[in-house]
Amino acid sequence: MTRLPGIPGLAPLVAFAGLLAGWEVAARGIGIDGLPPASRALAEVPGILADPESLINIGASLYRMALGFALGVAVAVPVGLMMGRSRHVAAFFNPLLMVIYPVPKAALMPIIMLWLGVGDASKTLVIFLGVSLPVVYHSYQGGRAVEEKMLWSAAAMGMGAPARLLRIVLPAALPEILVGCRTGLVLALITMVTSEMIARQSGVGNILFNSLDMAQYDTVYAMIVIIGVLGLALDAAFERLRAALVGWAEPSQALMVGTT
Amino acid sequence: MIRAGRLADTLIGLVPIALILLAWQAVHSAGLAPPALLPSPAAVFTRLAQQLGSPAYLEHAAATLYRLFAGFGLALAVGVALGVAATGSRAVGAVTGPIVRVLAPVPKIALYPAFILTLGFDDASKIAAVFVDAVFPILIATRQGTAVVEPKLAWSARAAGVSPARCLVTVVLPAALPSVLTGARIGLVISCIVVFLAEMITSTDGLGHLLVRAARNFQTVDMFVPLITISLLGLTLNAAFNALRARLLRGFPEES
Repeated sequence: MTRLPGIPGLAPLVAFAGLLAGWEVAARGIGIDGLPPASRALAEVPGILADPESLINIGASLYRMALGFALGVAVAVPVGLMMGRSRHVAAFFNPLLMVIYPVPKAALMPIIMLWLGVGDASKTLVIFLGVSLPVVYHSYQGGRAVEEKMLWSAAAMGMGAPARLLRIVLPAALPEILVGCRTGLVLALITMVTSEMIARQSGVGNILFNSLDMAQYDTVYAMIVIIGVLGLALDAAFERLRAALVGWAEPSQALMVGTT
Repeated sequence: MIRAGRLADTLIGLVPIALILLAWQAVHSAGLAPPALLPSPAAVFTRLAQQLGSPAYLEHAAATLYRLFAGFGLALAVGVALGVAATGSRAVGAVTGPIVRVLAPVPKIALYPAFILTLGFDDASKIAAVFVDAVFPILIATRQGTAVVEPKLAWSARAAGVSPARCLVTVVLPAALPSVLTGARIGLVISCIVVFLAEMITSTDGLGHLLVRAARNFQTVDMFVPLITISLLGLTLNAAFNALRARLLRGFPEES
């Protein structure tokens, strides 16, 4: 991506301001109730963030997201790495993953709700499923690309297979794994919002759709802005973490993939 | 030898799917879950076959497919055009780059309420939702693919008197085709997912609506059928796309 010379991070801020300005102009030009100007929607944001009830909702959402994300990474990374190192394991899991891939994970909500109820468990499970796929995929790619000679040297020095996976494959595949985690993080947020839109009980998606039903359009747009900024902030924070952990590797050129 | 290996791989790959079906059947036969919560696989697949032959169901599927392809087609056209333009012109690149960086990590499904409010409950809001979700992977892949095209190719074309704009379309874009197609495939799967979700949230027809309707009426069998249909649809589209990709990329050395 091109950057304006000078202060890093300036260009996205300018773009952000430009988008808000475009919204303001479009809303004033069109002038319908369904599209309030940016200034009115933004004026709602402090009110929402100061309201304890919506803060509890946002906190509950973030808690489920963090839990689902952590579980997803914990399961997906070992599976992906083993797929990358063994052709048989890859052959075992690949068709299953292909079948699951185009299914919208949040669409499983109604069925999972029958089994686990409307509470945290079903939403966390859906987030877990959404996070797992990209992390498995990238760990698989990363595990496959590990330099064979390093593994041979380690084996020659008497390192067992599990230790090789942990001490050589994992660090070597880390940059690629973190690319998968970054995609997974965005996906976790998307799945979180969607699952709450479908099973409205608490959370960010619940506030968003309840205000839509009650025709509080300013709140709808304010929530969209809050969710958007949340996505940006999480992504930026993860990018810093990635740079700190694997600064030695090439900066990620991977696609930002936002599937649900 | 290689053929035998492939066959063995396919067989190994069928094992987990068969295991899941078996476990499903076992749970059902053992009576661990009441049929209202987990119908038998036979019941689900019979219902699926029955529905795939019913015109009413196919009409819902057609509504979904129309939204999917309208949104994806728009995303493909806009994504490729902007991606090529961003490589071709510094000004376009400087404007689109930061905007894409800001918007790409935003969960686009959250914009869907805004589309409902501005575009109405009809097809337009769903097509818009598919479009915004599919356009970013296509745009980013096109931008990255065209940016790394061997400059000598473009120089040669320019030296032969081709105009810069023509050079972008006839030399740079075809050379970046593998990357563009990768982005398009990701966009296609995303379109599948988003159209289904949008129909689940508000709709009166389409596969997603069928799932929600079945859930409200507690018809568990009918909840599984649209989900299996969307998975089959995704697999079919993916296979068709791979066939098209293999045809288009004949002669690219590193592509398989």
